[in-house]
Amino acid sequence: MNAIEIRQLEKIYSEGKKAIDDISLVVPEGTIFGFLGPNGAGKTTTVKLLNGILNPTHGEMRVLGFDPVSEAGKLHQSTGVLTEHAGMYDHFSGIDNLRFFGQLFGMTKAESETRGMGLLEKLGLTDAAKVKLKSYSTGMRQRLSLARTLIHRPKVLFLDEPTSGLDPESTKSVNELLLELSKEEGTTIFLCTHQLRYAQEICNEYGLMDNGQLLALGSLEQLRRRTFDHYKVIIETDIMPQSLNSKRIGKNKYELSFQEKAEVPQLVKAIVQQGGNISQVTPLDYSLEDIYFALLEGGEGHVQ
Amino acid sequence: MFNNRQKAIMVKDIRGITENKRYFSVLTILPLLFSVVFPTMMLLTVLMSPTDSSSFTEMARILPDFQKLDQEQLIRELLSLMVNNVIPIFFLIIPIMTASVMAASSFVGEKEKRTLETLLYSPLSIREIFRAKVYASFLVGVLVTYVSFILTVIVVEVELYIFKGMLLPLSLNWLWVMLLIVPAITIISIVLIVKGSAKAMSIEESQQKAAFLILPLALLMIGQFTGILVFSGWIVVSIGLVLLVIALLLLRYSMTGFTYERLLDR
Repeated sequence: MNAIEIRQLEKIYSEGKKAIDDISLVVPEGTIFGFLGPNGAGKTTTVKLLNGILNPTHGEMRVLGFDPVSEAGKLHQSTGVLTEHAGMYDHFSGIDNLRFFGQLFGMTKAESETRGMGLLEKLGLTDAAKVKLKSYSTGMRQRLSLARTLIHRPKVLFLDEPTSGLDPESTKSVNELLLELSKEEGTTIFLCTHQLRYAQEICNEYGLMDNGQLLALGSLEQLRRRTFDHYKVIIETDIMPQSLNSKRIGKNKYELSFQEKAEVPQLVKAIVQQGGNISQVTPLDYSLEDIYFALLEGGEGHVQ
Repeated sequence: MFNNRQKAIMVKDIRGITENKRYFSVLTILPLLFSVVFPTMMLLTVLMSPTDSSSFTEMARILPDFQKLDQEQLIRELLSLMVNNVIPIFFLIIPIMTASVMAASSFVGEKEKRTLETLLYSPLSIREIFRAKVYASFLVGVLVTYVSFILTVIVVEVELYIFKGMLLPLSLNWLWVMLLIVPAITIISIVLIVKGSAKAMSIEESQQKAAFLILPLALLMIGQFTGILVFSGWIVVSIGLVLLVIALLLLRYSMTGFTYERLLDR
């Protein structure tokens, strides 16, 4: 089943700015979907539309089967949303905040406290549980906000730049938590970020946005196929057979292009059979960054 | 009347006020000023003025047929006028001020501190959230006013007993003010703040607007002092009922037209 479905979504703000331009996508349940693009690409607007906080100018959406426009209340019971502007109460401690938000989602005080303390522990905030929020650092606030989005065990998580302000260690613990949620509880995660390398570490499906348009959609492999028609490998060898289509890029260093990953052993075998001594084989995988910039440069039309 | 989720918002809003030193001092000092300090000053003015002085004669002019009364009766009538007609007006200012501080913190404060968006992501509808907030402000406004009233009664009667060896009965005016007018103007103040909250960007801005509510009361007070407007019981009841109807209608229609998008519009 699809957790999120968007059809021909368009959002034009009252001042006339077109923030979302005719995007369509589906996110199956349990997916960690990376919604990527630079600031101003339309990521946060999409999250707000999907949660009924903004009304679309055109198009249809369903999240867990609910229409965000007419069923926002029911939908919110099953979603958790982290955005830059969704703050918490400075005069409350970390656990007080979690207890309050737990109660808003229908949990008892005791349930919220137990669940809240568990989340604080996972996010390395146990020591700060009773400290008022006004003393929290940016990173601590961000982790507490993540705990707040998880307090009611949502089925779909919307995370807008979840690692902003986090140090590498905290980023790691957040990633572990998100992967655990996706694998063990089947939570769908709609993750918005402009950090492509970060997204590649954790997401299994991607939507690449620019200027309100969806440039491409799919897994990393699908995006690569769509953008590049070959793989590359760099082989260091003293002999390179003429029969192989190679490009010399240094002393005893050659770049070879091929269609399928399965061709690599054949290339190596061919070199060895010709008496070549191979010292290193380095596959060149196209990163999400390579794909994104190739798509931008290629002036790809938006995905229908 | 309220579900547990709404109760959580009400408790949170009330805690937000009581745990904030600045707001809490406003909510204690202002009512004390109007319920203890000002009434005491007024009573002492009457009690300490020599009855043959010109200022006393000026005050006495407010009373109908003041020339027919002897001095003891004059003092008694003047005190009764102060206690039953002038001091109740302070009890219109107290709920306006307390409810405005509470409502401004609870509605505009959430927007200013960027916590409103988080609340809107909860399963409660905008109407449920706002209803909880209106009632939290109402409870605080009315409670502070009632506590102030009890204080005033104690202070006034003790002072009268010490200086004059007498206790002054309270008129029915007080009952109508407390049961009808105080709840009504508390609701009206809150609704006006809530209506402005969609536009107001800071707590100060919204409190400044609420200050205008006090202007008509200042005129009313001058009227009472100068004897132009001394309301009798049935007029107070009528005003109270009209205000209450206006308040309930305002409350009912105040939240129409609020959408997530409009509330978060910056």
